[in-house]
Amino acid sequence: MIQFKKTILGASALVVAFATAVWAEGEIPALATLPTPKSPADNPLTPEKVALGEKLYWDGRLSGNGSMPCSSCHLPDVGWGTGAPISFGYPGTQHWRNSQTILNSAYYNKFFWEGSATSLESQAPDAAGGGVAGNGDDAMMEMRLRFVPDYVRDFKQVFGTEWPNIAQAWMAIAAYERTIVTDATKVPFDRYLAGDAAAMSDEAKRGMDLFNGKAGCISCHNGALVSDQKFYNIGVPTAPEFADDPLYQITQRWELYQKGVSEEVYRESGKDLGLYFRTKRPEDKYKFRTPSLRELRWTEPFMHNGVLATLPDVVAFYNAGGGEGQTAGLQPLGLSDAEQAELVAFLEALSMDEPLLLDEPELPETATWSEFDK
Amino acid sequence: MTPGSGLSRTAKLAAGISALAIALAASTTLAQDAVPFAPLPDAKEINADRAKLGEMLFFDDRLSGDTSHSCASCHDPAKGWGTGEPMSHGYTGSLYFRNAPGLFNVANRKYLMWDGRLDGSDLGTLVRDMITEAHTMNMDSRLAQERLKQVPEYAALTEAAYGGDPYGGKIYGAIAEYLKTIRTTNAPFDAYLRGEEAALSDSAKRGMDLFAGKAGCVSCHNGPMLSDFATKATGVPDHPSLTGAAPDPGATHAGHSGTGNADDPDATALRQITMLRHFATMGTPNYMNLREDVGNYVVTKDKADWGAFVTPSLWDVGQTAPYMHSGVFATLSEVVAFYNAGNDKLAPLGLTAGEQADIVAFLESLTGDAPSVTPPELPDYALRGVGKN
Repeated sequence: MIQFKKTILGASALVVAFATAVWAEGEIPALATLPTPKSPADNPLTPEKVALGEKLYWDGRLSGNGSMPCSSCHLPDVGWGTGAPISFGYPGTQHWRNSQTILNSAYYNKFFWEGSATSLESQAPDAAGGGVAGNGDDAMMEMRLRFVPDYVRDFKQVFGTEWPNIAQAWMAIAAYERTIVTDATKVPFDRYLAGDAAAMSDEAKRGMDLFNGKAGCISCHNGALVSDQKFYNIGVPTAPEFADDPLYQITQRWELYQKGVSEEVYRESGKDLGLYFRTKRPEDKYKFRTPSLRELRWTEPFMHNGVLATLPDVVAFYNAGGGEGQTAGLQPLGLSDAEQAELVAFLEALSMDEPLLLDEPELPETATWSEFDK
Repeated sequence: MTPGSGLSRTAKLAAGISALAIALAASTTLAQDAVPFAPLPDAKEINADRAKLGEMLFFDDRLSGDTSHSCASCHDPAKGWGTGEPMSHGYTGSLYFRNAPGLFNVANRKYLMWDGRLDGSDLGTLVRDMITEAHTMNMDSRLAQERLKQVPEYAALTEAAYGGDPYGGKIYGAIAEYLKTIRTTNAPFDAYLRGEEAALSDSAKRGMDLFAGKAGCVSCHNGPMLSDFATKATGVPDHPSLTGAAPDPGATHAGHSGTGNADDPDATALRQITMLRHFATMGTPNYMNLREDVGNYVVTKDKADWGAFVTPSLWDVGQTAPYMHSGVFATLSEVVAFYNAGNDKLAPLGLTAGEQADIVAFLESLTGDAPSVTPPELPDYALRGVGKN
């Protein structure tokens, strides 16, 4: 952290003038405008695939009981999440983490708060099949798609197969999600980087300096995505629901059990262990992936469990040096109220002027086999 | 036939009618050592603690993925431990493609499921299959375990029945133990076989003779369970609501209306989806192009088993309408008329209307008391201490 601070303080004066060039030379990538997302070579983006993926994203056939499409926990109207601290999950269950936005998920190299999926193509089936999320059975979901003549036609056109295959559905959804990205022309900060000095308020500009300097946010929230995509324990408090509601407690234990921790850890854990679930290394307990800070205006509340409701709450949390037990090297920041407000103004300038809203597409109808035999 | 002790009468019956059965059964003959009729087999030994836990779990919808269905949703004691519908409804948003069989004497069956895919000696696996399968209860068993641990009463009952915490094997085993308690009680024919001559009406007695003789029913429906537990193709048609030949009203259970809207698809399509998906998961050749219920073929992949289903036990048959794997026959009279008419697999029986009525009377004598079951009051979730898992 001390080393970080030197770097940050040394460079902060230069950052405005030489933003990309200076940070490209240093340890920390500077904030930048997002490029067009890349697609993996084995799942290229085509308009037809995106159109199919959009329908599937909204289609409850891709869940256990037909009522829980991707969109049910990732709704455009609430920042492509749920707007609640913790996602509500599959009927009869309670989810245990904040529903992350789909916005700019195209740029992440890992998915879920503990980074347990490594592509959008593998994230979708984990969500659609998870017991407290979509709870869908692959074979059942696949057969439902095969009884939709429009889908049979579309999958054949996009993937060239006689019948829809469930893995292709995840590929189409991933392609669609790669189109749900920030439009830089609508983001004050990106317009500022492009040369429009008036795009950000003076307050936001001072916030940018704090972000890159005194507040040290840039040490983790850097690069075009405003995330280093690494994992830290910043001491986010446990959400109160886990002490108050049996459904949360059920899910907490289920996650411990299904993620394969030791008997001792299963018996004693009252918290979300984060990255530890993947690595089983004690030092990785309570670490979560640094989220992008783009589009925060539209994606309240914040943190893996939604425990911080507003951006001022988040800034105040860091100003106090993070939470109890943090191992990320956070220090109290000593920001004045005005500085905190400036930081918030800058964070808001990383969002589009208006939310990315899309209407639910019309979904094709299920037919009996007599229809699709024709 | 002279009344005597139950056992000796059974033996006499066996000796007296087996020759008839062999002579007259159309396509199959009674095995040399098979007993045509025998009283209901004894109940299996039951662990009372496990059965008590299992009874509560049987009625608890928290054992389905979205907490909408319990075992009893499709095996309702008030409906002969079935649904009373031709075809069962299955999990929320689905509709099933076969009849939900009643559970009377389920512990005494040699094979389970209409297509015979499960071994009757292993009720725990039957329970697991129903709880975890996507088309029935669609439950993640690990989540089931954690739900039960959140109920102090279940934790205590599990401790008493097994020791330790609830987990999958104990959950399935407890319900399996409860299934052993579901029995035919006071069936007139059982009383008759045990020596109570007056338990059967004259019509039922004539029906019994036809059953064992001219009609040849006994060639498959024999022994203490009135089933040989073999799989046979008898040409029972699929339900027209499955094939699309008739409209499908869906189901009255919540989540299954089947009105045909975009987000509530046509009920027939939902049944077809469930059937072809079952065929797919069983590894059935060419499953996408199958347009009928191929039964046991999905187990053996042998053409000889195409459309074959396990011979159902006939105890309590008066309580388990409608009938057949497809639920295509609403009444016992329709079933008897089906066999009387014959088809390309069965020779016609040439029974008069009176004879058919006698067989129905006999079948009704196989039926005991209606289950006297009050669904238990179920305990609620309670909070646990944080970090005390």
